[in-house]
Amino acid sequence: MNDNSNTLVVIDDNHPLYEVIKPHFEVRNAKDALASFDTYELIIDLTAMRTKGKIAFLKELSRTTKAEIISDLTLSWGEMVLKECPKISGALSLLFFSPTQKVEYFAKNEHTKSLIEKFLTVINKSGIEHSHLRLGFHYPRAISMIVNEAYFALGENLATKEAIDLAMKNGVNYPLGPVEWGEKIGLKYIIDLLTEYSEITQDPRYRIAQELKMTGKYI
Amino acid sequence: MELKKVIVIGTGTMGQGIAQWFLQQHLDVEMVDSNHDFAKKSHAKILEQLDTLASRGKLSADDVAKFKPRLNVVTLEQVDPNSDLVVEAIIEDLEVKKDLFKKIDELMSDKTIIASNTSSFPITELGKNLRDSRKPNFLGLHFFNPATIMKLVEVINGLETNKDISNEILSWFNSRGKVAVLCADAPGFIVNRVARNFYGESLRAVENYDLKLITEVDLVMREVGGFKMGPFELMDLIGIDVNLNVTESVYKAFFDEPRFKPHRLQKEMVNAQRLGRKSKKGFYLYE
Repeated sequence: MNDNSNTLVVIDDNHPLYEVIKPHFEVRNAKDALASFDTYELIIDLTAMRTKGKIAFLKELSRTTKAEIISDLTLSWGEMVLKECPKISGALSLLFFSPTQKVEYFAKNEHTKSLIEKFLTVINKSGIEHSHLRLGFHYPRAISMIVNEAYFALGENLATKEAIDLAMKNGVNYPLGPVEWGEKIGLKYIIDLLTEYSEITQDPRYRIAQELKMTGKYI
Repeated sequence: MELKKVIVIGTGTMGQGIAQWFLQQHLDVEMVDSNHDFAKKSHAKILEQLDTLASRGKLSADDVAKFKPRLNVVTLEQVDPNSDLVVEAIIEDLEVKKDLFKKIDELMSDKTIIASNTSSFPITELGKNLRDSRKPNFLGLHFFNPATIMKLVEVINGLETNKDISNEILSWFNSRGKVAVLCADAPGFIVNRVARNFYGESLRAVENYDLKLITEVDLVMREVGGFKMGPFELMDLIGIDVNLNVTESVYKAFFDEPRFKPHRLQKEMVNAQRLGRKSKKGFYLYE
C-alpha cells in the first residue's frame, strides 16, 4: 500500500493522463467505480463528461460512497454540477493539456484545497485556484475559442496551419500555435466543450468551425 | 529579390520600428511624415536607439557608424522615386491611406513595390485608386510592435497582387531573420483575428468589472495557459480603446459575426476614460 491507498481515481483508459496517474493511484473506470464496494476516503473523478452525464454519474457515485469527491469539470457547466451534486467538495480542470503543467481548480474549503494540491503534486503538477466556478474554468474556455477560430481561418483558406501557428507564436508570443495546441489538447474535447457552451448559453459565438469538426472527426 | 532602398511613411511607433529594422538590414531608408518635425524627432530617436544598442554590445560601433548616414528624413515630394519598396505606416484611416497611396503611385517608378502596414483594412480596398499597372506591386506587410524585435511579418495578398512578388518578399524577409507568413486579404489577417477571443472570452468570464476576478483570469492565463501576459493586463498595455477599435473593425468587417462581438465592459471602460496604462487607469490602476 502506498500513501495514496485511500484515494480512488476514476478515469477511463483513453484519458490523456491515464498512464501518468495509474502508477500512483488505484484507478477504475466509471462503471467499475459505481460497482465497487471498497471504501475510500477520497475519490477523484477524472471522467470526461458533459453536464448531463456528469451530474447523473456524480449523483450515483455520491449515493454509493461516503468518500469525499472531487471531480474534473472541464467539459461541464461547473456551477450547475456543484448545485446539483452538493457533496462534491472541489473541482479541477485536468483534461486540457497545459503548456506549463499547471491546473486550474476550485475548492469549497481549505481541506479540499490541500487534497487537490497534494494530488497534483503526486503527478508532478501544481494548481492555480479558481475562486468562483460559474460556466466553466477560464483556461479551457478561452483556449477552445482560440483554437476554434484558427480552424475557421483554415476552413476559409486564410493561411496554412503552419502559417497560423507561426503567426501566433511570433506575432503575439503564444507558447504554442493554436493548431498544434488543439492537437495536444485533443480536438474531440474542444468540440465537446464548445458544444456544451453552445447548448447552455444558446450564444451563437460558440458555433464550431466545420473544419474543426472535420479534423476532429466529429460525426 | 534584392532590396536596397526603402521609404517608410509615417514615423510613429510602428514606422520608427520598421525604419530601424530595415536600416539594420543595411538598407538605405528614407522616412516621411506629414509632420516633418515629428519625422525629425523620430529620426533622432532611432539614432539614439542605435547608440544604446551599441553601448549594450548588441550592435557593433562600426555598423552603427555605417547605418546612421543611410537614414534620412525627406518630404513626400523629395523621396527617391527609384526606391525598391515603400511601406506605409500612418494612422488607421481608410480614406487618408487611399489618398496617400494615390500620391505615392504617381511619385514612384513602375518597379517600386508599395505596401501597407495596416492592421485592419483590406489590401484590395486600399489599392483601389492605384493605376492598374501598379496593383500587382501592391500588398500588405503587417509588422508587429516592436518591429525591431517581433519577428512576424504578415504578407498579405490583395486580389490583384502578383503572387510571385509576394513570395519573393516573403523569402527576402525570412532570409533576414523575420518570420514572414502568407495570408489572404481577410479582416484582421491572422493574428488580429485569431487573438480576438483571448480577450473576448475572458471578458465574458468576467462580465462586470471585478478586479479580483480580472486578476484571477490573468493569473490563470499566464500560469496555466503559458501566455506571457493575461488578457486584461495586455489590453491595458495595448490600450483598451485601441483593442476595442480592432474588435469593432473585425466584427463589422465580418458583417456582425457573433464570435467577434465586442463586450460592453470594453465600451464601459473606454467611456470612463480608463484606457489602460496610457491613462494610468484601466482594468488595473497604475498610480
